[in-house]
Amino acid sequence: MILAHGEIIDTSVEAAYLDKMYENCVATLNKDRVLSVQKVINACDILYKRAMNGEYDELAIPLLTMANISYERFISMARLFSREELEYKCKIELGEGYNSLDSLKNGTRRMLRPLGILFHIAAGNVDGLPAYSVIEGLLAGNINILKLPASDNGLSVTLLSELIKIEPDIKDYIYVFDVPSTEIVTLKRFAHIADAVVVWGGDEAVEAAKNMTDTKTKIIAWGHKLSFAYVTTNAKDEELANLAFHICETNQVLCSSCQGIFVDTQDEEELRRVGLHFFELLKEANKKCGKTDIGMRGKNTIRLYNDRLEGRKDWHILNEDGVSVIIKQDSELELSYMFRSLWIKKLPREQIIGNLKKHKGHLQTCGLLCSDTEKEQLVNMLSKAGLVRITGGHMSRMYPGEAHDGCYPLREYSRIVEID
Amino acid sequence: MSYKGKLFRYKNPYDLEGSKDLFLKAMQENCGYQYENCKTYREIMDRCGFCPADLKKYDDIEKIPFVPTLYFKHNEMFSMKSYRMPVKVTSSGTSGKKSSMGFNVGSLYRGLRMVLRVGKYHGLFSLKPSHYIIFGYEPNRNNKVVFSKTAYGFTYFAPALSRDYALKYTKDGYVPDLDSLKKKLIKYSKSKFPVRTIGFPAYTYFLLKQMKEEGLKITLPKGSVITLGGGWKQFYAQKVAKQEFYALVKEILGIDESHIFEFFGAAEHPILYTDCRCHHFHVPVYGRVIIRDVDTLEPVKNGQVGLINLLTPMVDSVPILSIMTDDLGILHSEGCECGEKSPWLEILGRVGIKDIITCAAGADKVLNGGE
Repeated sequence: MILAHGEIIDTSVEAAYLDKMYENCVATLNKDRVLSVQKVINACDILYKRAMNGEYDELAIPLLTMANISYERFISMARLFSREELEYKCKIELGEGYNSLDSLKNGTRRMLRPLGILFHIAAGNVDGLPAYSVIEGLLAGNINILKLPASDNGLSVTLLSELIKIEPDIKDYIYVFDVPSTEIVTLKRFAHIADAVVVWGGDEAVEAAKNMTDTKTKIIAWGHKLSFAYVTTNAKDEELANLAFHICETNQVLCSSCQGIFVDTQDEEELRRVGLHFFELLKEANKKCGKTDIGMRGKNTIRLYNDRLEGRKDWHILNEDGVSVIIKQDSELELSYMFRSLWIKKLPREQIIGNLKKHKGHLQTCGLLCSDTEKEQLVNMLSKAGLVRITGGHMSRMYPGEAHDGCYPLREYSRIVEID
Repeated sequence: MSYKGKLFRYKNPYDLEGSKDLFLKAMQENCGYQYENCKTYREIMDRCGFCPADLKKYDDIEKIPFVPTLYFKHNEMFSMKSYRMPVKVTSSGTSGKKSSMGFNVGSLYRGLRMVLRVGKYHGLFSLKPSHYIIFGYEPNRNNKVVFSKTAYGFTYFAPALSRDYALKYTKDGYVPDLDSLKKKLIKYSKSKFPVRTIGFPAYTYFLLKQMKEEGLKITLPKGSVITLGGGWKQFYAQKVAKQEFYALVKEILGIDESHIFEFFGAAEHPILYTDCRCHHFHVPVYGRVIIRDVDTLEPVKNGQVGLINLLTPMVDSVPILSIMTDDLGILHSEGCECGEKSPWLEILGRVGIKDIITCAAGADKVLNGGE
């Protein structure tokens, strides 16, 4: 299936479209008018209002149920498409007055312009994310070629088609192809046409994108990340409870989900005390959220039982009601078993940078739970270590205007043109 | 004769009640043997505070420390020297990791008694030569995967005229070739000898779907049989309802539901489960099933969902007398229309969503140098 010039076309005629891709993109670029950001924002705003009215519920609700996302979270995600939020996003990311940049002091004019053509290789872990990636590309004024992830369920194409229906001017700026990742020749053709390849996914996906791209093409990678919480003895109980709730709510599958807790201590007894206390909070949060998937609980129970058989003497495993806390003796950042199972390890503050710096590109959020007086020092250390989001217990909360993994996508998708 | 030997010669393969005492004695025998001969399993028993003497009455079998299949994927455990195990197999490693098993002559002999008894009971043997279509791997010297051995073994249920494989062994490894199987099926439909297909349900299903799309319908010769085994593997997400599958077999190949058999077994539990005419896997006398709570691992009542724990005294060479699968299932004891009294095991599928894509997991894969 292909979406091109606002129409959904059968894959059988894909070859014909591919042959004309470059020509068509150039024709779009040749037009006098550039894509108006306001028109894109208008269209998104209408889309958002329709979502708020429940017009997409039929499509969205089964997907939400599958992904275990609450309707409230969906609405808060939909809000990101509203006029208010998108205008705010443009302003934060591109700066005030990005439409008419001040000239340099010698009089050289400056313009913010799109890169031109973006080729998005989207990941399948968040529904609708491929569409969001394209919308970001549109906000910067680019032509967007989107390769759908294998696991796509049609939500992205629906959203983009709706957008084109609302604002037909966008139609020449969106191409969606359902090409499998194995069709390297086709993907290379897209990469060849594009000014930049925007790749979502793990290091393997990024590596694959690099291999299909020549040195003239920019690679913008939104890779996979790991997140954790950092807790001192002064952490407030309320924040710890929020953290426990966050773990249950996200099942630890998001980039920003807490995989484990580092405790600011050298003391075994202290670590144990935090572990036991957090285990109680986790059980309470689990009750509030309702048990997670039976299969995932089974999987974790077997893994923990197996860990005991394999004689991991230095681990202290606490498990009950399908949630678990493993108190470990090392200080390595690692993925947890997920689905309400986390690790707790020692990491005295003076070791934060040395211990985490090696994970550089993979670090994202740290839920920092400490006293106000400790906060600045710890923020300083965590940011030096490479963390890009420092939150409280609700580690996956979303705020408008937030950077993405420490970068502003709209800036990545634009360039500055200087004219004497 | 040992109690194990007696159990595997037991006359009615589904008389669970009548074989209780014999089963307990055979388990005691095996448990004692493993305690004496497998250091690792002895340590596990010691750590769990269990010793073979604790196995006093039938219900005590649930106290035997069970070993997860996951454990076998990380650790090799043998209770015999390697030269005493003529057959070595690996599980097919759906999730990438494989476990190694070895079987001694005595265990294999018991396995053979079981296959003969169960095969006869379900009327699987035939003297009429048959063409075999195997939806699985073509055997080669390097392939120790249990499925290819089992599939090959099944080709002795009736004399084989030919054997064709869905996964052909080439110099580049295994390559699927459903097209040539399709041609063979069409050819054999005109033959007077029956066809027996064996293998992964998913491959069988995909070939039939393909034939349907192409408008191909054939009628295989009388006496043809479809046998399925090996689980739904990578195609779990596209798992079709069994009834839909049976209807497709009838439509495309002209074979009645009564001629479709499904088997279930594992490298870590080499007991042959064969479905009855109602397509239920009744527990045979050679093994027992305990369903355990997903959180506490305590046994649950029949009819409730839980983790499948499988027990058998069949094998000496590896301590697999009680293993914990990573499948969810239900043990049904409400009776079955086929008239069999033995409870039947419904397998609901693997725990966890193997294909779940999470961004956090992706990063971890790299941290650990990939799985």
